[in-house]
Amino acid sequence: MRILVVEDDNEAAAHVSKGLREAGHVVDHAMDGEVGLNMAGAGDYDAYVIDRMLPKLDGVTLLSKRRAGGDETPALFLSALGEVDDRVKGFKAGGDDYLVKPYAFPELLARVEALGRRRHTAPSTVTTRYAVGDLEIDVITRTVRRAGKKIDLQPREFRLLEYLMRHAGQVVTRTMLLENVWEYHFDPQTNVIDVHISRLRSKIDKDFDTALLKTIRGAGYTIADGD
Amino acid sequence: MFRLLRTTTFRFTIVYVVVFAVAVALLGYLFYQSTFGVVAKQTDSILDQEIQVLSEVFSSEGAGVLRRVVRERAAWRDDGLYMLIGAPSGAVLSGNLSALPPEALSAGEGFFNFTFERPRLDAAGREIGIDTREARGKIRRFKATPDAETSFLVFVARDISTRESLRKRSQALMTRIGAATIGLGIVIGLLFSRTLLRRVDSVNRTARAIRDGDLSKRIALTGAVDEIENLAINLNAMLDQIERLMNGMREVSDNIAHDLRSPLNRIRGRLNEALKSSPAEKEEALRTTLEDAEGMIMTFNALLSIARIESGEGAGQMEAVDLVAIAQEMVELYEPAAQESGFILQLKTAPAPPVRGSRALISQALANLLDNALKYAVGGTTIRIDVRKGSENRVLLSVLDDGPGVPEAERDSVLKRFVRLEQSRSTPGSGLGLSLVSAIARAHRGSILLGESSTSGERRGLKVTIAFPAYDKG
Repeated sequence: MRILVVEDDNEAAAHVSKGLREAGHVVDHAMDGEVGLNMAGAGDYDAYVIDRMLPKLDGVTLLSKRRAGGDETPALFLSALGEVDDRVKGFKAGGDDYLVKPYAFPELLARVEALGRRRHTAPSTVTTRYAVGDLEIDVITRTVRRAGKKIDLQPREFRLLEYLMRHAGQVVTRTMLLENVWEYHFDPQTNVIDVHISRLRSKIDKDFDTALLKTIRGAGYTIADGD
Repeated sequence: MFRLLRTTTFRFTIVYVVVFAVAVALLGYLFYQSTFGVVAKQTDSILDQEIQVLSEVFSSEGAGVLRRVVRERAAWRDDGLYMLIGAPSGAVLSGNLSALPPEALSAGEGFFNFTFERPRLDAAGREIGIDTREARGKIRRFKATPDAETSFLVFVARDISTRESLRKRSQALMTRIGAATIGLGIVIGLLFSRTLLRRVDSVNRTARAIRDGDLSKRIALTGAVDEIENLAINLNAMLDQIERLMNGMREVSDNIAHDLRSPLNRIRGRLNEALKSSPAEKEEALRTTLEDAEGMIMTFNALLSIARIESGEGAGQMEAVDLVAIAQEMVELYEPAAQESGFILQLKTAPAPPVRGSRALISQALANLLDNALKYAVGGTTIRIDVRKGSENRVLLSVLDDGPGVPEAERDSVLKRFVRLEQSRSTPGSGLGLSLVSAIARAHRGSILLGESSTSGERRGLKVTIAFPAYDKG
């Protein structure tokens, strides 16, 4: 993916760029809002990572301008402001995701990759069936099959699996799951998500030879066939 | 003094004084019209009648009789004044005035006022001085035929001195009453203004003292039951809130200093050591440093959340929420984790009205309480969430466990930031969980209460109850 990082903190930007490059992405860095706006206009990017508070032009205005010009490149806001009001402002400006500083890099990577994926699935065709290996789900009939055998899931387990399947092959963090499956924006101190995952795993992986739902240490989970 | 004149109260007083003075003037005018005005009209009509009578005497009896009648009337010596003058000779034919007053010349046929002098007599009839008296009169020219060569000027007047002096006295009295009204009004206005100004000054003095840095200053209350006292009470309440917030901020920075300084020191020491040690030890040092950093980030986030919630941020998103639904969702999220830790998570609900609140904040509070129960209810078996209607239009949300509980003496202090009970020092945690819950309760104008979940037995457990005010549509 080609990613534009607009961040005025040089060290943080270097850290983010390095991490993204190591994950195989092409990264450009802009130091302030105006440069960021120009670079976004000049290059064809797959995702923007924009700090909310920038010199010369703040991140929300920058993205609003791009969106007004018809640019639909997915964007993730980085911000030290994490309350509901701030999130809402970010989403209103056209942001697709919001990450509060300080964050762990794997969280950022997972979210940026999830955004890039969103772009590559054509918006006109709504996918209703997902498959990973011999695991298939149908979101219309709400059925899950593995190797042709039907598996019964609780509604929440189904939503959890659905989210993982939509992001198959990508790392999904605990916070992403809590935000998207349960719609909570806080981090519980207990391993609540892990237990839900292990329950799900016992239903979809336990009786089969290959485990599809994998734990990525220090980051989260992924559902993928093979390694 | 000039400040007094510029006060709002004084301006109000002036307006009232003007209105009152106008009212008094109007009243005085009406009184004057219905007394002296009527009397003056009577005088005029008496004079007209006299002239009418004399005119009839002249036309029926002739000048001789008229002269006699005028002489007789003039001799009565009451307050009537008469003169009969022959024209064009100008001789005074009869009457009790020595000369025609000069005002008569310009008056024409109309009424006119004039003064005349009359000797003052004592009881024995001796002259003891001269009085200048006021009178009102009218002149009419009598002619025998329209083209007669001689004519007579008849002058009839009435002494109005008594009436006039009474009128003047009344007028003076009215003026004095008016002046007194205005004067008194102004004085009372000034007194009122001064009282008010003193009380406003006390507010201003307090405001200045606070601006100069003494946040503990409060406006002195006078004990009166009025709007200024109300204002003072409200301002004091606002100052209390500001002071509380300021103290909260100070506490936060103190706590940040306290809770972040020790891990920072630890990190510095460890990194110093690592510089001199083997690669394997360096790696170990980096790993533990990362853990420390993550712990610090957690603490920092929790502190910021508390500060934001306490500053009232997020109050805009308050809406009618159903505690039962929130509890159900949370049970659904925590049930597997509870089970894995060996607890049964129960939900007990009774019909309860909605509360005004934020789903996100209440969920977070509940999550913190459940985290705490899972962490600290060591040896317990059941965690229960209880939603029911309380007294005084409140809805109670409780989390009960059957762990060791919190000793009664320490219940207040565990709500404060960073306070952790001695026996829990070994488990990870920032010590901010309950203070976050407490901040969320306050943001909902609710209260938090720590108690025991059962009243008998060895293990009484902990019961944390948040009382939310029920949703009020107003």
